[in-house]
Amino acid sequence: MQPSLREDYLEAIQHFTILNGHSPRPHDLAAVLGKPESEIQSNLGDLRESGDITIAGDTSINLTKTGRLTGECVMKKHETLQFFLSEILGMDSSSASSEACTLEHSVSDETVDRLGNYLKKTRPFGNNGADRQKPAVCGYTGATCDESCTPSSLLDFNEGDELVVRGILGQSCAKRLLDLGVVPGEKVKIRRKLGTHALVLQVKGCDVALSPEIAAAVSVERIP
Amino acid sequence: MKIALLGNPGAGKSLIFNQLTGLGVEVNRYPGSSVCLECGNVCYKKEKIEIVDLPGIYSLDGSSEEEILVRKFLESGGADIIVAVLDATKLERNLYLFSQVAEFSPKIIAIVNMIDVAERQGLVIDVDTLSARLGVPVLLTAASEGRDIDRILPLALGSARVVTLQVPYDHHIEAALKSLEKTLGTPRYKNLLALQGTGEEHMLLDTAGAIAHEIELRHRMSVRQIIATNRHNFARKVAAAAVRQGDQKKTYDLDSLLTRVFPGVPILIAILFFLLLFVFVIGSWMQVIIVQLFTTYIILPFGAMGLPPFVDRIGFSVLIALEAGLGIAFPFIFTFYLGLSLLEDTGYMTRAAFLADRAMHRLGLHGEAIIPMVIGFGCTVPAVMSLRILKTRREQTIAAFLISMVPCSARTVVIAGIVAAFVGIIWAFSIYLIVFVLLILTAVLLSRITPGEQFGMIVEMSVLRRPQVRLVLAKSWLRIKEFLFIAMPLLIITSIALGIFQYFGLTDLFQQMVAPVTVTLLGLPDYASTALLFGVFRKELAFETLAILAGTADLGSVMTGTELYTFAIVSVLFIPCVSTIAVLYRQLGARITALISIYTVFLGFFVGAIINILMK
Repeated sequence: MQPSLREDYLEAIQHFTILNGHSPRPHDLAAVLGKPESEIQSNLGDLRESGDITIAGDTSINLTKTGRLTGECVMKKHETLQFFLSEILGMDSSSASSEACTLEHSVSDETVDRLGNYLKKTRPFGNNGADRQKPAVCGYTGATCDESCTPSSLLDFNEGDELVVRGILGQSCAKRLLDLGVVPGEKVKIRRKLGTHALVLQVKGCDVALSPEIAAAVSVERIP
Repeated sequence: MKIALLGNPGAGKSLIFNQLTGLGVEVNRYPGSSVCLECGNVCYKKEKIEIVDLPGIYSLDGSSEEEILVRKFLESGGADIIVAVLDATKLERNLYLFSQVAEFSPKIIAIVNMIDVAERQGLVIDVDTLSARLGVPVLLTAASEGRDIDRILPLALGSARVVTLQVPYDHHIEAALKSLEKTLGTPRYKNLLALQGTGEEHMLLDTAGAIAHEIELRHRMSVRQIIATNRHNFARKVAAAAVRQGDQKKTYDLDSLLTRVFPGVPILIAILFFLLLFVFVIGSWMQVIIVQLFTTYIILPFGAMGLPPFVDRIGFSVLIALEAGLGIAFPFIFTFYLGLSLLEDTGYMTRAAFLADRAMHRLGLHGEAIIPMVIGFGCTVPAVMSLRILKTRREQTIAAFLISMVPCSARTVVIAGIVAAFVGIIWAFSIYLIVFVLLILTAVLLSRITPGEQFGMIVEMSVLRRPQVRLVLAKSWLRIKEFLFIAMPLLIITSIALGIFQYFGLTDLFQQMVAPVTVTLLGLPDYASTALLFGVFRKELAFETLAILAGTADLGSVMTGTELYTFAIVSVLFIPCVSTIAVLYRQLGARITALISIYTVFLGFFVGAIINILMK
């Protein structure tokens, strides 16, 4: 059995267990990995021989200690790499996930550790990040894209909403907004919103009128 | 000794400036820009002190003309002492600019103005804490009540201090600043600007650009965002230490009426309508009086003096020019600026801009352009002068073209006096219709071809307040002076040139020369060209001259309806008047002025020719 295939299996079992609170059965794995159950069965046999898993009477699959360690390690590598690819390099999250699936098998522990430290350091200045980091497992396709993948702009909210600024997209209008105090982390309120989507934003105690195209560039989220 | 007032827009700089200097104010154009600086002199303890009112800005790092001007001003040590004017009600936001000014280490004092409004909002400002935190003397003032304004000069001259305040930036930025300082020997403020991509030294910009790139990778944020956030945080800390929120009186929020579609838009339309009516009715009325008085008491007695014909001719030309200038200055500029000052000073203007933004966007402009456009119906001259309220040159250029085409009250006189009187009222309205269609076509065309980016609107809503009569009058007076100063010489020169022209009998020659255009192309009598030529002083002169040259006031008896209609539409569209050209030149420079003149002449002839062909 190929080392990368072994790692994929262990990662998938570990991830499933954490996510669902119980051990997967072969058909669960077949669904997760997108492979026929016959192939899964034969691969599981190989894994049991190498001492990574045990299979209980009700066909539920449990990781042994070595199996779990490997699974956890691969999962961490996947998360770190995916986060790096999507958040720092700006790849879209599904291609970042599939790319991470390839890289996780060859990357060294040291590289991942250093990458993890680097990402931790930058996080205090980042506006989002931790909350966006969604563990994903190889084989998962059509990544479920919820709110955090497409940041919402001021236009998505209504008059009276109190919001936190996450960032400003595009550079042309950014400078004036920054000067007026629309900076990441700043609390703002939509004071008025017209049918034309022009709106008045309250920031630092001042009311600022914005055209829709400017408002669309300000990414915000509701105050938690 | 030179003192400069610096601060955010709406912090009350102008009012302080006016109270310090009185009416002896000059408007100077800063070399190499179209931004105007207001300067005034004041005598303090037998010393002449020059006070400069710098344009209101939010930041020193930007690339708008105002920001560049103030930055250069600070860089070159343009003033001995800087008086930073801060708005007490928005201290935190105002301190952001202060923290930037501090980087240039000028001698400075801080004025916390509008303390009366802050008191009403229950804000208590601790002067000693603020002064200690900023490291400069701080003074609380209320310019609208004139409170403690007299203490500004003594404090500035007596205890202004070089500010040593430094914003604690993120440690990567600090490290970058230090390394730039060490390797290139450039001062901190230049390095800060260079990290944000602003500056003129290539060496510095390249090095800083590389470092900034590193920092951006590390922080996943642009250097501008990091620096701005650091400054805002600093400002927040200082404001939090110095400002205490006491009991706040609940006041009625007028904005719940003004910035909603209903009743906001009807209110806007009503206000614009009354402004126009005010300029139109009062202006026209005053103009008639001024022209009559001028004619009766100066021009007629002058003609009766029996001077030698050449001197008489020249003198007459000068008087005509004076009459035209005064006939615009007081009736139109004064009334308009009275109205505009009211709108600006009450803070309503920003609401109007907000409501009108979408509509104006279609014309390649944004909200604030609605004021000049509407005023153009009254008089083109103040409309062009008020173009300075538009932020970008692109908008100013587009708006200038459109304003030059809007039928002003003088052109309305031509339309009413010629078309409505002799051809028919429906035909008079059709001229307006044609002009509006051309105007929209021009706008659509210009918004595509004018260079520059179309920025959306980012306008701070000014606080609604009662206007100060004194400030309103001072502003209006300043504009009148400016107009007379720039337009009079041009009016007089053109008038004398035309006078000499007529004296040597060149009018007939001119008429023959342009006859292919007037007679063949437009189908007008040959003397119409002279009438059009005189229209450049005041548009209604075209109408009056036509009547004189035709030898009868009953134009219908000497010209056909088509001829009158063509004449009216050509003179409405044809080249702006000399006064407009003068203010256009002042506002936008020779190239745009020439383009507008050529475009309107072309448009006038083109439309005239089409009508001539169609209606024949």
